[in-house]
Amino acid sequence: MTKFTQNAFIFDATRCIDCRACMVACSVENNIAMDKTRIWVAGIGLKGEYPRLERASMVYHCMHCAAPDCLSACPVGAYNKRDDGLVLYNAKKCIGCRYCMNACPFGVPHFDFDKGLIEGAFIDKCTMCPQRIDIGLEPACVATCPTDALVFGERADLVKEAHARIQAHPDRYVDHVYGETENGGTSYLILSHVPFTELGLPALGSLPVKDVSEKVMEFTIPFALGWGAVLTATAVGVHLVNQKKEANAKPPVEAEEPAEVKK
Amino acid sequence: MPSSISRRDFLKISGVAAGALALGKFLPPRAAEAARLYGLLDAASSGYIPSMCEMCVWRCGLLAKVETGRVVKLEGNPDHPHSNGKLCPRGQSGLMNTYDPDRVLTPLVRVGKRGEGKFRKASWDEALGIVADNMLSIKNKYGPEAMIFSTTHCLSQFQFENLLNAYGSPNYGTQRSLCFNAMIVSNLMTYGMEEPNRDYSQLKYIILTGRNLMEAISTSETSALSKAIDRGVKVVALDPRFTKTAAKATEWLAIRPGTDLAFHLALLNVIVSEHLYNAPFVSSYTDGFDKLAGSISQYTPEWAAGITEIPADTIRRIAREFAAAAPYAMAHNGWRTSNFVNSFQTERAIAILNALVGNWNVAMFPASGEESSGLGAPPQPSYPRISAQRLDGVPWKYPFVPLKIGVFQELRDAALSGMPYQAHGWFISRQNPAMSLPDRGRTLQAFGKMDFIVTIDILMNDTAWFSDVVLPEASYLERYDPLNIVGDKAFIRQPVIEPQGEGKSSLWIYKELGKLLGLGDYFQYADDEDYLKQQLAPLGVSLDDVRQKGYVDLPAESTEFSEPTWSTPSGKIEIFSSTLAQGNFAGVPQWEEPPVPAAGQFYLLTGKVAQFTQFGTQNNQLLHKYSDDPRLWINAATAKSLGLADNDPVEVTSDAGKVHIRLQVTQAIRPDCVYLTPGFGHLSRGLTTAYGLGACDSDLHVTYTDPISGGQALSQTFVTVKKI
Repeated sequence: MTKFTQNAFIFDATRCIDCRACMVACSVENNIAMDKTRIWVAGIGLKGEYPRLERASMVYHCMHCAAPDCLSACPVGAYNKRDDGLVLYNAKKCIGCRYCMNACPFGVPHFDFDKGLIEGAFIDKCTMCPQRIDIGLEPACVATCPTDALVFGERADLVKEAHARIQAHPDRYVDHVYGETENGGTSYLILSHVPFTELGLPALGSLPVKDVSEKVMEFTIPFALGWGAVLTATAVGVHLVNQKKEANAKPPVEAEEPAEVKK
Repeated sequence: MPSSISRRDFLKISGVAAGALALGKFLPPRAAEAARLYGLLDAASSGYIPSMCEMCVWRCGLLAKVETGRVVKLEGNPDHPHSNGKLCPRGQSGLMNTYDPDRVLTPLVRVGKRGEGKFRKASWDEALGIVADNMLSIKNKYGPEAMIFSTTHCLSQFQFENLLNAYGSPNYGTQRSLCFNAMIVSNLMTYGMEEPNRDYSQLKYIILTGRNLMEAISTSETSALSKAIDRGVKVVALDPRFTKTAAKATEWLAIRPGTDLAFHLALLNVIVSEHLYNAPFVSSYTDGFDKLAGSISQYTPEWAAGITEIPADTIRRIAREFAAAAPYAMAHNGWRTSNFVNSFQTERAIAILNALVGNWNVAMFPASGEESSGLGAPPQPSYPRISAQRLDGVPWKYPFVPLKIGVFQELRDAALSGMPYQAHGWFISRQNPAMSLPDRGRTLQAFGKMDFIVTIDILMNDTAWFSDVVLPEASYLERYDPLNIVGDKAFIRQPVIEPQGEGKSSLWIYKELGKLLGLGDYFQYADDEDYLKQQLAPLGVSLDDVRQKGYVDLPAESTEFSEPTWSTPSGKIEIFSSTLAQGNFAGVPQWEEPPVPAAGQFYLLTGKVAQFTQFGTQNNQLLHKYSDDPRLWINAATAKSLGLADNDPVEVTSDAGKVHIRLQVTQAIRPDCVYLTPGFGHLSRGLTTAYGLGACDSDLHVTYTDPISGGQALSQTFVTVKKI
């Protein structure tokens, strides 16, 4: 398999049969604890009323955003975004603050509440299997998918492929490639026959959440300094006013005080 | 449900359970040496070794990733046509089958009462000695026919049959009558072959009857159907449940259980009466069309609508669409239509429907057998003549059932009744009749009639739990099996790690037992590798080459075009079967009314989920982790009318027995049906992950046998459901 400059997936919900081979493959490949997982089957599952029914399931894992909010929120630099698209997490640097969990609009990083500070490795999430793709293999979930609901490749090619599928079967798909622009673009491109919210995906704009938050954050220091100045000025002002009040209220005492102080 | 043990932890645990032997075990030195020689493993014994999956009988090719002597990951083998590089969830979980902490690691001999689960460890010498003594004593006292042999479809089956035939017993049980006898026998009657190959690549229209390919996964066929759907093929799915296959179909018909025959008879009616069939094909290659045309006129869509609860217009439209798509149309013959006693005729109607659209060599092709010329075999002396009749009624009661397939539930019933004679011993390999046969109560009673029971398995399955001796098999990642022919190649299953504990291959067990029984001449191979070398001898290929490549190419068969022929009495596709007519059965399919549930009763349905294979994978921790709780499905409106809510504990009662289980209230099932995930409700406390989960469908299933094919009518059981 060739290596890609921007590694990406297509997940096509019309092809997913909810067999969970991806979940087992991921668990084995990445040696995941038996009570943990890096992949969920999301989505509403069964929809409708007998006998008019529909199913929708989604293989849910890290979207590997172009502008990752987790990375942006991490105060200790435990996250990094590789040039070829992978969003990676370094357990050794993590301090367990869980800012990334709150920051991720997809709710992907998850915390291991069973472990204490000493044991480390608090946060876990999909890595896109760098140990595989760096030697030319597909991620474990993609490699085993019996119905090719997951495919792997160069992001630009996959964006074209996704649109081609919609064009070929407009009756089958919602006319949108989720992740093409959402949150500034993700490496996980999703095609669906049901509204994306029914797959458990948030409705997001194309401006990355991170850009908004970082814009806000840019004002933090000026704001802090400014607010500090205001508070200082207020404190000084109050003090001066009080001094003035006291001076006005007790002129005789004050007159005597210097003498006492001198004592 | 999920335990908090990490995979690394339970690998450690299994090592501890295995004793010091299993810790840090590497490949057998010779295997490692050969694998390194061919670059499969590096100096540190790490790399990929090709072999074959055995999490179900589809047998995908796999590549086992080995790191310092441990299997750490399984990949689908792109060279194998059953996997095409993919593995299903069961295949992916395969290393947990090998590293299951519940593995039986030494031969065990029962010390408590049967079913108490008290065993002591024994050496292979002692355990095989006990088995041989008992088998010889039964043979001397009652004759060889007093010994039952049963196994499930597997690669060492030929050597199992060798042991059975050499010992001289006619009593052979397989799983097939519990699965797809109706399909096999109807194909034999119609096409002269058990199961034609199917090809989806050119199809435009598919009717799936009881074939839930998206949950009962056969990797390459599931993949082929998925690709066909992606291309835009029209799929009509007949199923009383909204399965994951029904969800992918163009059209789901929630047909009333037991009436698939009426639906297909009506399709035949429309295609014949409106002259929509492929006339040139029918006249050249089929026999008996006139007889069908004469009898089919009564089965109109209007007639079928009342029976199937599918509107006549829908049936008529589907018949026309199906015929219009000819020859790129296929009615899948399914496996699990053997659900009612009329299922044989259902399968016949489906087989004939395919013949009428002339899809031969387009959608259906001659079966490529697993037994092919080209491979060698150890020399085989002739078997002793068997005079005793078979307990399962083949052929004296079931003349059309092949001897190698049999009627397993009848065999069990004969063991229980002692008619026509009493069986005294049961030799079971990689099979779990305590779960697979209908009416578990009767199976346990039949066990009680046995002087001696021995079970070979990798786990303490429920049948092993009731056995006198349990022999530990090496898992599929730890042993050789005979080569397996798929298409124009023979694939190898080879050990990728050394067996846990004292597990041994079936090839070794049958040979060693054969020697003790005085049947050594029937097992003329020095060891497993020698067996494979004898298979390869005519090809002039070395075993080492095959071990490296994973397969050997077989000599090409003639590709010259020849007129299609079928191994039937007429040499054609038999729309009318004179064989059936001579047996006083309908020569062309006719409607047979199935029984219906009484008021307050439900049809009891079963059917696979993607994570489990029959009764053998429920203890796999990885599959357990990623599967849903086994509950009893009930339609939401029905539940409401009965005052039942989701997750309510209920008692389910049939004529055979009762079970307790929690409800799953769902829209995805007909209001007159309930569905139970099969394979749960284990009795063996030696299965620590699976024990205590779900309920056993076999406790409920009533034994009904289709008189023609011998298939168990698996859905012909009716139950009541009440809150407890």
